[in-house]
Amino acid sequence: MTVTPKPPGSRLDPEPVPRRDVLGLASIWSAAAALLFSLFGMLRLPKAAVLSSPSKKFRVTLPDTLPAGEALLPPGRSVAVFRDAGGVYAISTICTHLGCVVKPIPEGFECPCHGSRFAPDGSVTKGPAPVALPWRKVSGGGATWIVDEGATVPAGAKVAS
Amino acid sequence: MSKNKHLLLWSSLAGLILLVVAAVQENFLKEWRRIQSDGRSDEGAIKVQLRQIVNTGLNTADRCVTCHVSMGPGEQGVRGNDTLVVHKPVVHDPAEYGCTVCHGGQGQATEKADAHGDVHFWPEPMLPRSFSYAGCGTCHVSPGIPNRDLLEQARLAFERLDCLACHKLDGRGGLTRPGGGGMEGPDLSRTGLAGYDAGWYEKHLKKSEEAKDGPWKTSFAPIRDTDRELLATFMGTRMAAPGLVTAKAQFHSGGCLGCHKVSGVGGDEGLDLTRAGQRDPGQLSFSEVPGERSLGNWLAEHFRSPGALVVGSQMPTLGLSEEEIERLTMYVLSLRRRELPGAYLSKDRARTTRLGAREFAGDGATIFGAFCAGCHGLRGQGRRAPGMPGFPSNTNPDFLELASDEFITETVRRGRPGRRMPGWGEKEGGLRPDEIREVVAHLRRLGGVASKPETTPRRWVSADAAAGQRLFAAACAGCHGPRGQGGEGPALNNKVLLASATDTYLVETIGRGRRGTPMEGFLKPSIVRPALARSEIESVVAYVRSWEGKKP
Amino acid sequence: MKTAAPPPPAMREFWENLRAAPRRIVETAFRSGKPTTDRTRSTFVFGNVFLHLHSVRTHRWSLRWTTTMGLGIASLSAFLITLVTGVLLMFYYKPYPDAAYVSMKDIHFVVPTGRFIRNIHRWAANVMVVTVILHMARAFFTASYRKPREFNWLIGMGLLVTTLALSFTGYLLPWDQLAYWAITIGANIAQSPREVTDSLGITEWFDPGGLQRLILLGSDVVGAEALIRFYLWHVMILPLALAALIAVHFWRVRKDGGLARPADADQRLGPPPGETYPIFTEAPAKTYHLAAIVRGRTPLVGRGPENTVPSMPHLFYAELGVLMLTVCLCLVLALVSDAPLKELANPAVPENPAKAPWYFLGLQELVSFSAFMGGLGIPLVVLLGLGLIPYLDREEAGSGEWFGGPGGWPLVRASIALGLGASVVVEAVAIRFGWIREWFPKAPQLIVTLVNPGTVLALIYALYSVWLVRRYNSARAGALGLFTCFLCGFLVLTVIGTYFRGPNWVFYWSPADWPGH
Repeated sequence: MTVTPKPPGSRLDPEPVPRRDVLGLASIWSAAAALLFSLFGMLRLPKAAVLSSPSKKFRVTLPDTLPAGEALLPPGRSVAVFRDAGGVYAISTICTHLGCVVKPIPEGFECPCHGSRFAPDGSVTKGPAPVALPWRKVSGGGATWIVDEGATVPAGAKVAS
Repeated sequence: MSKNKHLLLWSSLAGLILLVVAAVQENFLKEWRRIQSDGRSDEGAIKVQLRQIVNTGLNTADRCVTCHVSMGPGEQGVRGNDTLVVHKPVVHDPAEYGCTVCHGGQGQATEKADAHGDVHFWPEPMLPRSFSYAGCGTCHVSPGIPNRDLLEQARLAFERLDCLACHKLDGRGGLTRPGGGGMEGPDLSRTGLAGYDAGWYEKHLKKSEEAKDGPWKTSFAPIRDTDRELLATFMGTRMAAPGLVTAKAQFHSGGCLGCHKVSGVGGDEGLDLTRAGQRDPGQLSFSEVPGERSLGNWLAEHFRSPGALVVGSQMPTLGLSEEEIERLTMYVLSLRRRELPGAYLSKDRARTTRLGAREFAGDGATIFGAFCAGCHGLRGQGRRAPGMPGFPSNTNPDFLELASDEFITETVRRGRPGRRMPGWGEKEGGLRPDEIREVVAHLRRLGGVASKPETTPRRWVSADAAAGQRLFAAACAGCHGPRGQGGEGPALNNKVLLASATDTYLVETIGRGRRGTPMEGFLKPSIVRPALARSEIESVVAYVRSWEGKKP
Repeated sequence: MKTAAPPPPAMREFWENLRAAPRRIVETAFRSGKPTTDRTRSTFVFGNVFLHLHSVRTHRWSLRWTTTMGLGIASLSAFLITLVTGVLLMFYYKPYPDAAYVSMKDIHFVVPTGRFIRNIHRWAANVMVVTVILHMARAFFTASYRKPREFNWLIGMGLLVTTLALSFTGYLLPWDQLAYWAITIGANIAQSPREVTDSLGITEWFDPGGLQRLILLGSDVVGAEALIRFYLWHVMILPLALAALIAVHFWRVRKDGGLARPADADQRLGPPPGETYPIFTEAPAKTYHLAAIVRGRTPLVGRGPENTVPSMPHLFYAELGVLMLTVCLCLVLALVSDAPLKELANPAVPENPAKAPWYFLGLQELVSFSAFMGGLGIPLVVLLGLGLIPYLDREEAGSGEWFGGPGGWPLVRASIALGLGASVVVEAVAIRFGWIREWFPKAPQLIVTLVNPGTVLALIYALYSVWLVRRYNSARAGALGLFTCFLCGFLVLTVIGTYFRGPNWVFYWSPADWPGH
């Protein structure tokens, strides 16, 4: 290290720091880089990689006595299952507005939270809901049917029983 | 002062490198990423991500499908490498039930060794493929399983009567049968669970009579009653897990329940086996066990020589064949019963826990095989194998000749207090009256001696007990003990024996002896003593009776 | 009609203000402008809430690596690492039996970066325990506890205890076998005063042991109540206490005149290097009255050229460097070794051997002789002794110097030999020949409690220390000997507890000899 001659100066007016401190800057920036990188790693943690919700597929048994067009609400699931002349179909009962559970009524569905109304085929008739209630995939036959809450089918797609 | 800058610079750079290494490890080097990157479905490459099957009812979150993707829900079409294979069709869709409930292992893990449970701190490693059926035991109990001989006879009857010509059983038979000549009848693999038409025989008979030719004529003919009984037995045991049923039948042939309890039924001397298939291999000593440190391996070695593995074990060396050992291992591995929520409580388990159905078949041979054969031998010969300690031979014709059904029933029911024989009718986890009746009938069948009605009164001896005492000391005490407490021979001062045995039984047994045992007939002389007179025998009986009511 | 009406001045001002906003935000963040000169850096340091615990200038003696070896900052860094990683782990951890274990498995297997962060948390906690102990040893051996720093020594002890408590409470949270049985033992150590009250026959009326255990566990067994309590201690009470103590500790370092240094530090350092810019180029003749009122003495008056450098950047490079070094250490450990997670806690199957965390294995070794003396008696006496050191050693010779004071390094060297030797011999006797219970099976419990290898060892050390005090006619000499001996004893007991104790706490030369393995 070369000893630079001591600059004249006073206590009250310290001189500026030498500008080209490559080592110092490199060290600070590498520390910043390391901490920033670790921050990115840490920010990934809160985003869960797996969801603890059970399988979206479930089995449902349709009683023979179920009247055409009347909703069957499997407990613990947010879907209404119907059977009519056209076949079996399932409509989500999650309001497309803010996720409340809609209630089947003779005119279709009604959301208790903000007053949305849906027709029996799920299309919006009133209220703030932006889109129709989606239809869910149904498969099977006879009395036992498999409903997949995770799969959407076009409205009107009924499966012949 | 640049020392500190160097410190900061190099430690920061090192830290950065370490973080990058960790990031690479986490995001690129995981085995499941490699496996999934091979995966192709109909729509092309699959999304590389963690996958799991959650079953809130069974309280499982199985990440096995992170590697075995094509066993997961809706991904049956995924192919690409050896790990991406579809589960063979089973009743319990893995997409709903998850994997670990049947196969064991650590469902939450996402790395092979951890997931398969081959790590030190996971108590329930995966069941090896050869013992897959043991997994059924987690939820099912398979009730009404006969003993091995009966099951084998039933199976032979099923084969002999050519049922496989039309019916499928565990993947064979019906149209798939080599040689053909059959037709498509109902699959009989699950008749023990799903039941079957009770009137099948009459319907078969009618069809056969109406038919002109074809399988109805060539493969079906009227069946004898005994064969039909065997067929019913066989149908009752078809639960889609043939290996497990065979294993359980083996368990019901060695008298295991005489000492061990399973689900609250059985003897008290041995370990309660209800959860023996869940034991943590980490808690067992493997110093005497060759091969891998698995519970199955330990159990197999344990069946070969129980004393070598468990210090102070009372369990005798059973002298089993390797096949039998494998079956017993399979059965014990299946004893892994888990608490189940109502929705998942299997019917068979509900039947046993709530309606009192038995896990063993109700016939005398099975009950005798399951409970009694451990001491008395499978044929009641008195010892299960040569070289093992002897127990009374309860199929000895001399014994069956003299003993009334009432006496035998009472003996089974109340046992011999203070001796090895428990009171099966009175103890917890014992037998029910009708089951004891079946056992007694089975003994009569085995011995080939029919029951005879009692003609003499129960108590008629009135003789000099003091004279009997002298005779007893001279002739009987050597084997039965000076006070009748038993020695080489059975104890005679036992209160249940004295209460249930009739005078005729005692007098005649002493007089005639029991062939095949050291007990000689005392009416005849032997080289060491003269014959006893009938009156002398009666005085001995009077003396024996004098113990009644006294403390043994 | 096209009248290009000029925008009203207020609107223009609004736009200009909006444009200038980013620049002004930066400006206002650095109240006195960017810290590019020594002066602005100084105002930056004392104007910033996070930095103002530092004095604006730092003595060059304090920046020597051998002065502190950075152990205090390393402890703080480790604490910060555990704090950050701990908060992250709380995203997924569920403090309820069984669920806790499941959530640990989730963290290990599926939480993004979860395993790594848990490993870092665990290793940083261990690093913190080590550095805190070493930091304490450093402060002791450099006689930095002396006037006016006596009270800060006590706060430091509080930090040590809090650190150990944090580690211990974290131990239960995974709810595995290791955790469950370590806590069961810990709770029973808390109950161990009963050993004394029982033998005096007064437990019925006076039961501090039972009370301690009840407060610790909230129940009579280690269960859900205990878990939520340990969780509360671990994530709330103890970190807050630690943070508060750290703040006071640092404040006192600053207010007690910075780091201790020898009286002749300036001479030994020589003139400052050219790159630093001194406040005084020559010894000032004037006193600073305000400073004199505040502190009672003005250290700089009459001395010079003074030997300080601006804290920013010199001290901050050092501090940041130590932080990054600590981070590095934790990262390496976390990459190399996973934090342990055994089987799910099973109250029916005790771990054998059930071992506490390594830093408690010395205590567990003592506990194996007597729960009360090992778990509470000896530790309390040691803590009391440590706390009294600065009040008994009122000497001045050797302050700020490694192994300063009468005797110096040769004394410490001899003490190391004695400390190691005595503990090994006492342990060997106890392991080879047994102790009072084996010799006199009918000895009263009180005797067994009071006379055991642990107390005998403590007594040997104490007598040795008294001899040193007389020999050198110096309390510092005695303290040096005693502290060294206790460090050695701690080391030996910990090593024996960690590596040479197997099932049933029986001595084995190697885990390979354990039965059943």
